[in-house]
Amino acid sequence: MRAAYLSLFMLALLLLTFSATAGAMDSIGIIKSVSGEVYLASTETSIKAVPHMKISQGDLIRTGPNSNVGLIFEDDTVVSLGSNSELCIEQFLFDPAAGKLAFITKLFRGTFSFISGQIAKLAPDQVRLETPDATLGVRGTKFLVKID
Amino acid sequence: MTSARSLTPVLFFVLFLCSCCLNGCAKQTTVVLLPDPGGKVGKVTVTSDVASIDITKAQEATVIKGRQSAPTAPKVLSEAEIARNFSEALSSLPEPPKHFNLYFEKDSDRLTAQSQQVIPDILAAASQRQSQDIGIIGHTDTAGDPSYNMRLSKQRANAVLQILIQEGIQDKFVKITSHGENNPLIKTADNVHEPKNRRVEVVVR
Repeated sequence: MRAAYLSLFMLALLLLTFSATAGAMDSIGIIKSVSGEVYLASTETSIKAVPHMKISQGDLIRTGPNSNVGLIFEDDTVVSLGSNSELCIEQFLFDPAAGKLAFITKLFRGTFSFISGQIAKLAPDQVRLETPDATLGVRGTKFLVKID
Repeated sequence: MTSARSLTPVLFFVLFLCSCCLNGCAKQTTVVLLPDPGGKVGKVTVTSDVASIDITKAQEATVIKGRQSAPTAPKVLSEAEIARNFSEALSSLPEPPKHFNLYFEKDSDRLTAQSQQVIPDILAAASQRQSQDIGIIGHTDTAGDPSYNMRLSKQRANAVLQILIQEGIQDKFVKITSHGENNPLIKTADNVHEPKNRRVEVVVR
C-alpha cells in the first residue's frame, strides 16, 4: 500500500515537473495588437490576450465578435485574425543554423491575413496551413484566408 | 437489457452530432494572393483530398468546398470584393519586423562611422511600431579564438544597447543575445578577418 502511494506521489511529481518545463517553453512570437475580445489558450490555461504577450508553440488564439488581433513571429511572419476567428500554432521551429525549420498552423474559422517570413524563404516545404477544407503550401508571401 | 435501453439516448445524441456536422459544417475556404509590401507576388498551393491548384497572380483567389472537392479555377477578385471580406484582417496586420546590421571596427566594440548613421533609422522604426520588442544580436568574424569572440560579440551587443538607452529606448524592451563567431553573415574559414561579420543585428518588432 505504501509503495502504491509512493509511486502515485512520484507520478504527480513527474507531471508537475513536466508541466513546468512545458510552461517555460521558448517564446515563438508576440501579440502585437489587440482590439476587442481576444483569448490566448495553451493546453493548461486560457487568458485574455493583451499586446506584447508572448506566444508559444501549441497556443490557440481566438477572437470574439468585432475583435481582431495582430501577431509577429520570430521568423518575421506576421498574421492577423479578424472577428470570430480561431487558429492553433501546431509547430514552430526556427533555428536556421541547425537547419530546424517548420511552421504548421491550423485555421478553424474566421478571416486571416498573412505575410510569410524567413521559414517560408529558407524551407518553403516546411510551411503548411490546414483549414477544414484544404492544405495551403506557402511559397510567399502575402495572402488572405477565409473560412465560412 | 437495461444497459441497452440506457444507451439509446446516447446513441441518439451521437447521431444528432453527426448530422449536425454533415449540415452545419458544410464549410468552405477562400484563399486570396496579394502582392507583399515590396510589390512582389508569391505563390500559394491549395490542396484538397482530390486536387491541387496554385494561385500565382495578384488578387487571384480559389474556393474549396470541402476536402472531397477540387479547388475552383483561380479567379482575380476586385478590390471591393477583397475589402468586403478582409478589410478587418488587413487593417490589423502588423508591419513586418525591420532588421538592421551595424558594423564595428576591427577587434573593437566601436561602431564604424557609417553604422553610427543607422541609429536614427532604428529609433524611427521603433517609434513607428511603438515597439516593446527589440532584439540585439552580437556577432564577430572568425579571427581569434571562439571564447574571446563570444566575449567580444557580447560587448558589441551591449555597446548597441547603451546607445539605444541613451536615445531613450527602455532597457526592458530589449533582448540581447550573442552568437560569437558561430553565425557569420559571410561564411569564411577559421581565423579570417571579415568586416561584414563584425556586426550587431538589430530587429525591431
